[in-house]
Amino acid sequence: MIRDLKRVRNIGISAHIDSGKTTLTERILFYTDKIHQINEVRGKDGVGAVMDSMELERERGITIASAATHCEWNNHDVNIIDTPGHVDFTVEVERSLRVLDGVVLILCSVSGVQSQSITVDQQMKRYEVPCIAFVNKCDRSGANPVKVSIQLKEKLGHNSVMMQLPIGLEDKHEGIIDLVTMKAYYFEGDNGENMVEKEIPQDLLEDAENAREEMLDEASLFSEELTDALLEEGEITTEMIMAAVRTGTISRQMTPVFLGSAYKNKAVQPLLNAVLNYLPSPLDIENVAIDLDNSEETVALESVFDKPSVALAFKLEDGQYGQLTYIRVYQGCINKGDTLINSRDGRKLKAGRLIRMHSSQMEEVDAIPAGHIGAMFGVDCASGDTFVSPQINYSMIAMHIMEPVISLSIVPKDNKAQINMSKALNRFTKEDPTFKTYVDHETGDTIIQGMGELHLEVYVERMKREYGAEVETGKPRVAYRETITRKAPFSYTHKKQTGGSGQFGRVIGFIEPCEEEFEFVNKVTGGKIPTQFISSCEKGFLACMAKGPNLEFPVTGIKVTLEDGGYHAVDSSEMAFQAAARGGFLEGYAKAKPVIMEPIMKVVIETPNEFQGSCMGLINQRRGIIQGSQEEGVMSVVESQVPLSEMFGFSTVLRSGTQGKAQFTMEFSSYKQVPMSVAEEISKKKADEKAAKNK
Amino acid sequence: MLKKDLILKSPIEKAIGSENITKGQFGAVLSRAGVGKTSFLVQIALTQLLADQKILHVSLDDPMDKINLRYDEAYTNLVDYIGYVDPQKAVRLWDDISPNKVGISYTESTFNTDKIRDYLKSFKKADLALPTIMVVDGLNFDEDLSSTLEDLKALNEEFSIFIWLSMKSHREEALSEEGFPVQLEAHKDQFEKAVFLQPVEDKIEAVILKDGDKIDQKYKLDPATMMLVE
Repeated sequence: MIRDLKRVRNIGISAHIDSGKTTLTERILFYTDKIHQINEVRGKDGVGAVMDSMELERERGITIASAATHCEWNNHDVNIIDTPGHVDFTVEVERSLRVLDGVVLILCSVSGVQSQSITVDQQMKRYEVPCIAFVNKCDRSGANPVKVSIQLKEKLGHNSVMMQLPIGLEDKHEGIIDLVTMKAYYFEGDNGENMVEKEIPQDLLEDAENAREEMLDEASLFSEELTDALLEEGEITTEMIMAAVRTGTISRQMTPVFLGSAYKNKAVQPLLNAVLNYLPSPLDIENVAIDLDNSEETVALESVFDKPSVALAFKLEDGQYGQLTYIRVYQGCINKGDTLINSRDGRKLKAGRLIRMHSSQMEEVDAIPAGHIGAMFGVDCASGDTFVSPQINYSMIAMHIMEPVISLSIVPKDNKAQINMSKALNRFTKEDPTFKTYVDHETGDTIIQGMGELHLEVYVERMKREYGAEVETGKPRVAYRETITRKAPFSYTHKKQTGGSGQFGRVIGFIEPCEEEFEFVNKVTGGKIPTQFISSCEKGFLACMAKGPNLEFPVTGIKVTLEDGGYHAVDSSEMAFQAAARGGFLEGYAKAKPVIMEPIMKVVIETPNEFQGSCMGLINQRRGIIQGSQEEGVMSVVESQVPLSEMFGFSTVLRSGTQGKAQFTMEFSSYKQVPMSVAEEISKKKADEKAAKNK
Repeated sequence: MLKKDLILKSPIEKAIGSENITKGQFGAVLSRAGVGKTSFLVQIALTQLLADQKILHVSLDDPMDKINLRYDEAYTNLVDYIGYVDPQKAVRLWDDISPNKVGISYTESTFNTDKIRDYLKSFKKADLALPTIMVVDGLNFDEDLSSTLEDLKALNEEFSIFIWLSMKSHREEALSEEGFPVQLEAHKDQFEKAVFLQPVEDKIEAVILKDGDKIDQKYKLDPATMMLVE
């Protein structure tokens, strides 16, 4: 592996579905000698493109999971993360964007900027990933790369600058004019592998000169040297222009636009050059981690090899040799045999086989230095885990893992699905700490839990696609909770005499609301309750928390103070005091004004300006509270707090209300009391369910 | 009770009257740059929040977070002004009423009453109480805003929402005979209420320019907090 990080690029290829992302990746691998034959995505040869490693992807011509691939171009190491283009898999996109330094945004020259491009673009903005654009499919009829460049400006707010002009479009698309070198390039040979440099055709010369001037104008904003040269009409060198464009691109203030046709093997090599010339190396990007030993302060990571290692596991894959863990090393160097710590759980592990992936083939390596992407074999971990050298304790991601707020029951359709389902669930829970699963003992159903409707939908879909496990899903359920709102005393005696030794226990005290989930305070003095039974009392109280007396939702936020009690020398037992505690809890709970709490989500909608009002309206109709709204370029952001129970089906409503142009993110914010009217509805529903069950 | 106390102590109660705020169609707060138009408008809106009403704050200058911050600050100032409030109670009250405000930030070119109409309509659809006042902060009255005012008037009629606007005046411009800055003079018939803020010595003087018979009454405000100086 190349140790000079200036010659390393970690890039993603990100785009709307069907804009030719996988085809382009395939061509890149071909030109960089990683594969020796080009297979079309929906190939007649039945082989399919190499990057789509999952069977279903080949079949459908889409790419679901990101595979990391390595290749070399002009003495540079290029790692490519092939990101999924389908909207439902944006979780994956986001995870890959974290480990990238730059992105090639592919746009279709006919359909231009589509709604999915907007989604992807927003994710890039969120992670501040620099990008260059590639206008693909210039051979298609209706191709208009200039229009696409303008759309980039207008719809996405990019400062797009054409770096090339096409030589002919549609079926006459022959090559490109490079505005930096002012040369024409044609692509000859069976697979366009011979790039031939020629003079610019006379009829295009004027256009090219005008376009070059525009490009120089933009580029000069990022280089004084270039500005001076332009003003003094001095010599403008290629290096000057490239340096200026590079600065602009890395600072995300400029998006250079390239064009071509991957399918027709046109202008892929110049794009590769552009990746090297304009996208950042690991040295250009600042990465930070959280120091867990130092009150979660952020620390900057340095891409140097002699410091303690820090690496992030960003993708897991089940291979035939066990679990393959894709990692990006941010600092230090991971060598074969190194001891590492998984900072999530503090477990030690040994880096066994280290490999570099080329989609389905792998190459064994001795070390993965900082700035590189590779994979480890035989490491038991979850996606998103951070591996560090033993002397430090950093984490690449926030350690706080949220409790799931929504659940769904799933029933496998047949026996085969049953086996596959458990395999899938096992894998998913490892990949995603916010995804949980358990078996409901009352109904025998498998319940999956997650952070939102879409979140669960994606996993149900993946179960079907990747594991062939078809399941029927129940209605999603919100994880309500119960709590109390005021202090209430209890005094309960548990007494039973049924022949033989009886049961006796007496508890006196009070319960009150508190911040913690559960708190138990023992203030019993004078041995009114013998010490050996105090813990039984606590057990008894705690047992009541699992299921609320009213609606059987889990109870939280209760502090129990035990003040007094009584016992019987013969009849008191652990059992008796547990029962007494239960009785005391029920007595106090009924008097403590119990309420239902519901999860409130922070919902952020990003929408084109014209739909801002209607988006705010949608929130209004869902018991939501709008915190504010703001315009950012052509898009508006609406921030709000909405009860989760009102968010079911929201993505559909939002899509239809905004012509599919708005999208939203949702994360758990807090638990809040349910308004009376809604609480009544919930109780009624619960009662109906109970009645139905008892029938 | 705290709500009532806060309303009573608010400078708005003295200068305009909290009941009076929403009577009519348009109100204006005028001053030169940096004197405190926005703070005054926020105080107006705050009295509505304290009266359990909803408000809409549209700003062409401030981003969303800043709008929210201004309200937090105005509330704190008001609470401090009373001086003897149980802080926990004050926080709880704010948690209670602050969700009733919605801040929207636009730029001058994207401000458009259609979007606000779409939003207000949804209140009716969902059978919710409409905001009683809308603050529009940052319109440039040096330009011809007749059509914008027409649009706003339509909103007022459709949703019976009182609209308070800020108007920036300029030091070098002379006042009209009635003492109106030129920005107000051009639209004076449309406004039922107008307050002019002027720095006088180390205080700010709020002069009522229009509001029935209250004309020419003057109140002194603390420039840091916009609270009344007794």
